[in-house]
Amino acid sequence: MVSLMPISVLSQGAEEERSETARLSSFVGAIAVGDLIKSTLGPKGMDKILLGGRNGDGVEVTNDGATILKSLGVDNPAAKILVNMSKTQDDEVGDGTTSVTVLAAELLREAEQMMAHKLHPQTIISGWRKACDAARQALESAAIDNSKDTARFREDLMNIARTTLSSKLLTQHRDHFAELAVNAILRLKGSGNLEAIQLIKKLGGLLGDSYLDEGFLLDKKIGAQQPKRIEKAKVLIANTPMDSDKIKVFGSKIKVDAVAKLSELELAEKQKMKAKVEKIVAHGCNVFINRQLIYNYPEQLFSDAGVVSIEHADFEGIERLALVLGGEIVSTFDSPGSVKLGECDLIEEVMIGEDKLIRMSGVPLGEACTIVLRGATQQILDEADRSLHDALCVLQQTVQDSRVICGGGCAEALMAVAVSRLAAQTAGKEAIAMEAFARALLQLPTAIADNGGYDSSDLVAQIRASHVAGQSYIGLNMTDGVPADMRQLGITESLRVKRQVLLSAAEAAEMILRVDDILKASPRPRRQEH
Amino acid sequence: MSKAAAKSTAPAKQSKADYEGRSKPSQIRESNIVAAKSVASAIRTSLGPRGMDKMIQEGKGEVTITNDGATILKQMKVIHPAAKMLVELSKAQDIEAGDGTTSVVVLAGSMLEASQKLLSKGIHPTIISESFQRAAARACNILDTLATPVDMTDRQMLMKIASTSLNSKVVSQYSSVLAPIAVNAVLSVCGGPDSVSLNDIRVVKKLGGTVEDTEMIPGLLLDHKTCSSSGGVHRMEKARIGLIQFCISPPKTDMENTVVLNDYTQMDRVLKEERMYILNIVKEIKKAGCNVLFIQKSILRDAVNDLALHFLAKMKILVVKDIERDEVEFICKTLNCRPIASLDHFNPDMLGTAELVEEVQTGSSKITKVTGIQNQGKTMSILVRGSNKLVLDEAERSLHDALCVIRCLVKKKQLIPGGGAPEIELSQQLTAHSNTLAGIEQYCVRAFAQSLEIIPYTLAENAGLNAIQTVTELRNRHANGEKTAGINVRKGAITNILDESVLQPLLVSSSAVSLAAETVRCILKIDDVIQCIRG
Repeated sequence: MVSLMPISVLSQGAEEERSETARLSSFVGAIAVGDLIKSTLGPKGMDKILLGGRNGDGVEVTNDGATILKSLGVDNPAAKILVNMSKTQDDEVGDGTTSVTVLAAELLREAEQMMAHKLHPQTIISGWRKACDAARQALESAAIDNSKDTARFREDLMNIARTTLSSKLLTQHRDHFAELAVNAILRLKGSGNLEAIQLIKKLGGLLGDSYLDEGFLLDKKIGAQQPKRIEKAKVLIANTPMDSDKIKVFGSKIKVDAVAKLSELELAEKQKMKAKVEKIVAHGCNVFINRQLIYNYPEQLFSDAGVVSIEHADFEGIERLALVLGGEIVSTFDSPGSVKLGECDLIEEVMIGEDKLIRMSGVPLGEACTIVLRGATQQILDEADRSLHDALCVLQQTVQDSRVICGGGCAEALMAVAVSRLAAQTAGKEAIAMEAFARALLQLPTAIADNGGYDSSDLVAQIRASHVAGQSYIGLNMTDGVPADMRQLGITESLRVKRQVLLSAAEAAEMILRVDDILKASPRPRRQEH
Repeated sequence: MSKAAAKSTAPAKQSKADYEGRSKPSQIRESNIVAAKSVASAIRTSLGPRGMDKMIQEGKGEVTITNDGATILKQMKVIHPAAKMLVELSKAQDIEAGDGTTSVVVLAGSMLEASQKLLSKGIHPTIISESFQRAAARACNILDTLATPVDMTDRQMLMKIASTSLNSKVVSQYSSVLAPIAVNAVLSVCGGPDSVSLNDIRVVKKLGGTVEDTEMIPGLLLDHKTCSSSGGVHRMEKARIGLIQFCISPPKTDMENTVVLNDYTQMDRVLKEERMYILNIVKEIKKAGCNVLFIQKSILRDAVNDLALHFLAKMKILVVKDIERDEVEFICKTLNCRPIASLDHFNPDMLGTAELVEEVQTGSSKITKVTGIQNQGKTMSILVRGSNKLVLDEAERSLHDALCVIRCLVKKKQLIPGGGAPEIELSQQLTAHSNTLAGIEQYCVRAFAQSLEIIPYTLAENAGLNAIQTVTELRNRHANGEKTAGINVRKGAITNILDESVLQPLLVSSSAVSLAAETVRCILKIDDVIQCIRG
């Protein structure tokens, strides 16, 4: 009798998908995500419109894999793993977010085929691991290091920036922006602190009008009736209320029995503010920047003391200011001696488009600079911001690890050839998995060529042939659709980014492949509010 | 549009079949182009001096009548993402040049149509995009060669340019009034050789009268009436003006406070003390020689109470209250005074001086005028009048456009002819240039060149001329070297447009071409629309 009743082990609402079904659903999910963003790959990749999302009904146009995936609401565990992976790639190295997802998806597509041929997942995995090692060795041995020669290193950086930007909206202005990014990164002098580079977006003008400002720009206004130009500024950066100092006890109250006393109290409050201002002025500063509002009365006192006050600098702005000006953020003003003031040579108002901004030039942290982005629409500006950020991240990675590698599908072909060679030497089923790994790697140049509308099979075959023949710098020339020497075209990528793409994709694919059972917890029941 | 929306929900479901085949990107592209084109064709009829106006009814039932492309698009509330980008485009043109907001959208629509044809021939979007960019850059160079420098001291010329911009508006019959105002206003706030900030021009609009009554006030105009309670003063000659940021009302501490009374004799004392307190403030003000008081609005307490108003009226001090904090800077700049944040600082040297401060009746409401200001800063106030709200709003928008046009000239002192002449010339020179190119690019640049002809075509169409005949004749004239031949809408014929002095700043045209091209390129590169999750 019992056998007729299904025994329910799981609680109601929970689901379980077993072996074949579970694998199928992982594969389908991952491949779907891969296919979705495949078309954004490479210099001829397309953009996507993101509707809704963070900015309400607004529209975002982007080519950045991480941004697309982040906004995509996926309901598939394997797809979620890929999305997370691309997010990690974004955090770690900043670029290659699309490549990593596409590679992982392609690996899984190959795995699906192999599973159909009854290969055990563990065999595939062990094959992949060896293949991955071989690919990494090939990659590292092909890397070029030019860090000794400053001029050539700069050329490398320019090439990397151009390569990264060429797949973005900025592609037509890539020389200009590559110059901007490289100049900004070189100012950092290897410290790799991207905080010191500020991006300001201003609507209007053209992308080509964007420029690098050597100083630091603050999108705020100088108080009324105060000098708009200060030389040899000593800046006190503070986070303190300048409207009124209140006792922060709830319900504190004053009881008086006469209006005169009330006015005395009011006067006392005023005196207190005056004392505070005097204390601030006693620091010997001539510029006072506060994160909070500065109200009329203190503002006037500041003007009288010849101190320029800037109010309402937002939190991020204040922290960056403190970094750039070399000062510290102060909240109490009792010990003027011990406070470190920020310094800069010149503070002045500048006009960008319609708006007035405050520029600080000659800051002690010579690394700091601001890139002002101009563009026709908000979408273009946002996308330019993202692209430039990617480029800056990659450049920063390169400054830290100066080895570079050829792009344009060259590195992938190189790895694929190395892996196939290993497969040919390996006896046993693992060789099949290695072959599959090589095929998946070649899918990247295939996708790039496909997006450009070229005959991908022909091109990739040509490239692979040249690599087997030992010409290990041959990649895709996407302007003419022919194989070419990547060194001459200057298509260069950072080794670190490429290696990260390879390793994360292999790891994620392996993880998804190991899954043979998906358990879905029952959703938390919604309780009725009584 | 709905097709795009339906497609975009696909990723959430994830069935494998959705991702097979390459038809989706071209469908999305098609849908984007169609949507953007429909936006462009919606406002096409309002281009040019004979362009029509649009009446827009908002959700709340409010009606706007306008001819200004940026305003129409802002009000249209489009949903399609690509259409939204065109709205952004017109906004960008508004920021950059202030005028030509309709032309830029019409141009973008025409370029999209051209690219649609190219796409259907199987040309890859990135190739079209690159060629368009190069063509746009080239177009800007050609425009530069067409331009003639302008002398900023030649007011006659500037007025003609302002009239060209105003001629396409509802208020075109008043261009003789508005143009000189715009020119004078911009020239008088023009600080350096190239810098002018429209923030220094204050436009106050008041219902009543006609647009003809619009005037420029050499002084300051406040959209506030003087305080009239208990017989206040409404007119003050030889005014000494103080702008205060403190309050003339019973004291209030930042902490919550109560006055505790034990018996009713104390009540009298409290009232008396309150009077004394306020009287004291008022006396201090009087002592400094101030007879006009502007009071900044306070959110914490009454900026000025009735009792204070009474005393001020007694002392013959004119009071204007509720000045916003962000107006303070402008007022200070104009009056050459400084804001006073506390009574201790109330010194005579903080005050501004003017010949006359008076309240003026305008229609149903009153405004305050300050004239004859000593050492007036470089600011200007304009009072716009109109018989109804719609005309008034449109007059303000038109004036803004005219101001922007003059500002453009200050920024970049170059002029080109109007009336479709530069577009035809561009089209011809670009076509000639395209013949020197090789490969697909030639094809794309030629399409770009032809898409520019939409401007004269639409101008002619809107003026009721035979569009094809006009455009072909125009082409012919330009081919014969008449670089300034354009459509004379008034005469309905093609003439040398310089004789009619239909002129526009170079910046308007060049930014229209390059901004439109940039947006078109952005739209071309899109191959998918994704519905996002919130958060």
